[in-house]
Amino acid sequence: MSLGTPSDTADALVGGDSSTRELVGGGLAALSFAAFVVGLVALFQYVPVDTTVGGVSVATAIGGALTLVGVGIVALGAASYAGVFETEPGHTGGILSAAFLGLLWFAVGGLVGAQTLGLSTVWPVVALATGGFGAAVALFVREDIGVTLSAGLFVLLSGLVVVTGLVGPGWSWDPANVSIVVTGAVGVPVVALFAGLVGAWTAARVYGGFGPQGRQTGAYVLVTTNAAAMIALLGSIVGFIAVRGFGPMTEGIKYGLFWGPWTWFNPPLLDTWVVVEGPIVWFHWPFVMEGYSTLGAGVDGVLPAIVGTVWLVVGAVALAVPLGVGAAVFLTEYAEQGRFTSLVEISTNSLWSTPSIVYGLFGLAFFVPRLGNTNSILAGQLVLGFMLLPLVVITSTESLKSVPDEYRDASAALGVSKWETIKSVVLPASLPGVITGVILGIGRIAGETAPILLVTTSSPFPSEVAGVIEGGFRFTSAFPFVAIPDLNLVQASSALPYQLFAVIGAGLGENLDFAWGTALVLLLVVMSFYAVGIGSRIYFRRKLDQ
Amino acid sequence: MSIATRLGGLDTETRVIGGVGTILVVAAILSFLVAPALTGPIALAFAAFVVVSYLVAEGSTARFLLFLTTTSTVLILGFITVYLILNALPAAREMGLYLLVGSDPFWSTGTNVYSLVPMMWGTLVTTVIAMLVAAPLGVAGAVFISEIAPGWAREIVKPAVEMLAGIPSIVYGFIGFTLINQFMQQELSLPTFGSLFVTGLVIGVMALPTVVSVAEDAIASVPDSMRDGAQALGATDWQTSTSVTLPAAFSGISAAVLLGVGRAVGETMAATVILGNVTNLPDPLMDVFGNTITLTSLIASQYGAASGLQFSALFAAGVVLFVTVMGFSIASQLIERRMRRTLGGDA
Repeated sequence: MSLGTPSDTADALVGGDSSTRELVGGGLAALSFAAFVVGLVALFQYVPVDTTVGGVSVATAIGGALTLVGVGIVALGAASYAGVFETEPGHTGGILSAAFLGLLWFAVGGLVGAQTLGLSTVWPVVALATGGFGAAVALFVREDIGVTLSAGLFVLLSGLVVVTGLVGPGWSWDPANVSIVVTGAVGVPVVALFAGLVGAWTAARVYGGFGPQGRQTGAYVLVTTNAAAMIALLGSIVGFIAVRGFGPMTEGIKYGLFWGPWTWFNPPLLDTWVVVEGPIVWFHWPFVMEGYSTLGAGVDGVLPAIVGTVWLVVGAVALAVPLGVGAAVFLTEYAEQGRFTSLVEISTNSLWSTPSIVYGLFGLAFFVPRLGNTNSILAGQLVLGFMLLPLVVITSTESLKSVPDEYRDASAALGVSKWETIKSVVLPASLPGVITGVILGIGRIAGETAPILLVTTSSPFPSEVAGVIEGGFRFTSAFPFVAIPDLNLVQASSALPYQLFAVIGAGLGENLDFAWGTALVLLLVVMSFYAVGIGSRIYFRRKLDQ
Repeated sequence: MSIATRLGGLDTETRVIGGVGTILVVAAILSFLVAPALTGPIALAFAAFVVVSYLVAEGSTARFLLFLTTTSTVLILGFITVYLILNALPAAREMGLYLLVGSDPFWSTGTNVYSLVPMMWGTLVTTVIAMLVAAPLGVAGAVFISEIAPGWAREIVKPAVEMLAGIPSIVYGFIGFTLINQFMQQELSLPTFGSLFVTGLVIGVMALPTVVSVAEDAIASVPDSMRDGAQALGATDWQTSTSVTLPAAFSGISAAVLLGVGRAVGETMAATVILGNVTNLPDPLMDVFGNTITLTSLIASQYGAASGLQFSALFAAGVVLFVTVMGFSIASQLIERRMRRTLGGDA
């Protein structure tokens, strides 16, 4: 007996026909997945199901594909059972798969019983019967025939229902006790989504040759689809707002290069003005540089909202960062683990999960009456600062904990006092983590609407920026010879998220473009904080790993 | 260790600074409660005291200041609790249990009758729908990131999920309001603008990143040795995940789901914008496409016009909300703590 080459051994182990199985299984999985994607596109009415492409309506194409997949899956299962392919089926399809399939068949039985057969009271019996049967087949029959039969028949049934037009264009269903009417335009895509996923999952199991390997392939298909869907969701939300909002946001941008005066002065001896001229870049972006146009002429802008958001964020950071970092330093450097630290930890986590509207109520009851009895930027800053605080404490604590003890020991060995060590060794080492946490926190509070709705805002469409700084910095003739500007934070202001809410509340109508533009600006502001925060964290982690 | 012995462990300098500083801070807070005009001068006095004492005794002052900042979260939580309850008391006293179990009419400003039943029902239904979306998809996402994804995919998905968490709630609400509500009316002939179903769906998407991140942390904290053990016995990756990693991380994953529930219960703007905010139960009750109001959207939609008992009833809604979310938060913290203990690491 000669020793086989490694590839021979592999062939013998996997079985001669594995390539056919993989080809057919993979093909069916791809076909189901295509039905899923087409269903998704049809659901959002980009391509309605009654569209005809090359003489075949989308509905018929979906139905045909699903029928084919259903037949194919059952056939593959039967072929595997008959030993045509080399597979490794288990005795059972697995409890999880059986429960999943049972649920599907329960829904099928329930729908058919209650709606098609019109059984008003006994439909649960029908549903339980079909559900139990679907689960039992998958659970008690050998895996390759059980799972494929249960899942394949479901896909086949879905396909047949659609291809025969039982659920198709023109069909409508008014379920009892629910105030919607399902038509083919939505019904067919929904069937396609479910059956497509089931088909892809089962076909992937066949592709993997059943058994543990098959289950893994099937599960990975579903889990990966889910992850891809999340990215697609992010992309479509951002993309959609960018497409709709870009026009309104950039409307009326003007820029140019001019030759103009830079500065001018009157030299003491010469009795004339000396003017220095040079090129001037002029740039005007009405949407972010102007307020809401009161006269209805010109471009409506969001400058008051932007300025309001900047003030809110600045105030919240000024309040929360010293408090939060201080608390984190005390917790990691001074405090001993005990009742006090766990009390602080629990209240920090609880503050973190407290709903934003509750912060708003608190500000309304606590700050507004005490701060001039009016909605004010100051109240908003305090409330948002309180919301930011737990995040700063949590991220700073983590960052401080990750500073190696060697740093502290080395400093202490040199005779440096504890506070001096913290100030000059520990805090600088933890700075990247702290800053990252603060940036991410700013992203969160910059988009927060509910609290400022209650404590800061008043006018829905401001045309003027809230004049927080009044007077400006100047020299005076009287003592003390400088006038510092008045800082008036006790006045109402708008903010970007509130601006969006205000437009929605006022009825979109003619303001729809303004709303999309506002949404895009808000998204850009918040997302850029997140992007910078996440990016810098990845950068510093990499640097730490080196 | 009692407080007295703890204070005894400090030197005289720290005790003096701590004593005087604490008195000034307490005075500042008390003055803000009763006479806000006095707060400024007292705060200035405190600042002057801190500057002077820092120049004299740096270490002790720093320690005292840090201790002070540490108490801030406890103090804030305390103030929030007290002020919510104080403002909710009139409604609780006037309406009694009717507030929680009342029947039609639920919410009538004309006759000053307030019951939170429709709001609690709305919050319950939207939260259940949201968690049907967020729990399975979120856990699957966490499994993908920590167990399945190759390095490059993880580096795309993880930041993407975080960015998803960053999209402001009002933007989700805006999309639900303009696109999904319209879709429901056009394609599904929904007679009213806004429904519990759409709200729940959108809130589910919003709670998704929370579930993914926390569950992923939980799965990542399962020691590698457990995975290696399973794989050494010949288990596939997926078998390792389902029969070793996920059961070990089960409590952490349920903590993630509980946190997600807390987020969903407290979500305000999306619900306010998408729902019709009618203060009645949907008819029939189980109509998930019906329209009602949630605890959060009640507050956001009525705070402006409210006064007297109605204002107090809004705070009562706030208390119900606060207590519910706090319950979920504390439960998830206890579960997480237990998981950390059983897994033996300090991850």
